[in-house]
Amino acid sequence: MSRQWARLPERGHPLALGLIRWIALHVGRSAGRVLLYPITLYFLATATVARRSSRRYLRRVLGREPGWRDRFRHVHCFAATILDRVYFLTGQLDQFEIEIFGGQRILDQAASGRGCILLGSHLGSFDALRALGVTLRHLPIKILMNTAHNRAMAQVLDALNPTLAQTIIPIGAPDTLLKVQESLEQGCMIGALGDRVARGEKTVRCRFFGQETALPIGPILLAALMNRPVILCFGLYRGGNRYDIHFEPLAERIVLDRRQRREQLGVWVQRYADRLAHYARLAPYNWFNFYDYWEEDGS
Amino acid sequence: MDVLSPFELEVARLLVETLHLEGIRPEEIAPEEPLFGEGLGLDSIDALELALAISKTYGFQLRSDDKENQRVFTSLRALSAHVAQQRAR
Repeated sequence: MSRQWARLPERGHPLALGLIRWIALHVGRSAGRVLLYPITLYFLATATVARRSSRRYLRRVLGREPGWRDRFRHVHCFAATILDRVYFLTGQLDQFEIEIFGGQRILDQAASGRGCILLGSHLGSFDALRALGVTLRHLPIKILMNTAHNRAMAQVLDALNPTLAQTIIPIGAPDTLLKVQESLEQGCMIGALGDRVARGEKTVRCRFFGQETALPIGPILLAALMNRPVILCFGLYRGGNRYDIHFEPLAERIVLDRRQRREQLGVWVQRYADRLAHYARLAPYNWFNFYDYWEEDGS
Repeated sequence: MDVLSPFELEVARLLVETLHLEGIRPEEIAPEEPLFGEGLGLDSIDALELALAISKTYGFQLRSDDKENQRVFTSLRALSAHVAQQRAR
């Protein structure tokens, strides 16, 4: 996959984000949602790379040429979930209708006290399930996050809920995964997003919507090294105030043979890619990777 | 050129073997060269794998709350010194 996203300038000025936060908290969700329309139009008008990437993705997932309605809906869905993050992070979950699929799996896993890898993506809202798990159910969830990328957004959102911010393990230091190891040994569930490649991260080639791209092997390798199960999770925005949260097991145990490690990792990452595509078809406008995902621009 | 001490060579062997570094011979690793990013180009998952191997071989666990870590992972020499010290405890 392209690493272009890491080089893109941050979208969203801290002041604008602060404004969204203020409106979200003081004016309310209904008024905030009215503002999503001009925000979406502004984004469509100014973000050239994102617009092109959106069109290419929509073509693949819809299997036809996307119209302006599709493209508007795609960006609008993104903006709506950013607004809702404010409510998820401040624990205001009562105004949402959240349906959970496969929730027993995650409760059983938490009860076992053994820890696991919660493998998610930038499809939909990871914060929806994070808020639900940590705030409502008090599950021991920690999140691996690339906080260096979108610092402005991270700071604005962290300030909303310092307790939740403490459950973030920032990516990038050599001892990042030693922290993860210790958390897993304490029975924590480690959330990781498996659809973007961080700088210098090891990858494997996968097929995704019929075309090759590179996906990170890190989360699967981590599960194998630590001998922990992998549970897939997707928090999909369904419009209005509705979110669907899906959990499904990917692997109870990942055993790797030293000599065929790359190939075996490739098989698991491909299974992840297939499920990701499945959920993307289920909720096509939830895809929030607005950059050259299939490396079509050449670099 | 900087020569590895016998113990540094032992840790270098563990490193090359654990991480399957192709085309790198343990005795060729420059002891002061960075292990991460530049230099050998290891990443965080390599650090975990290395930490697991060190724990198995030398019987102690590298902790993330150890303030020494920033230094420990800088080079083979720093890592070896840390392992030698921790192992002796």
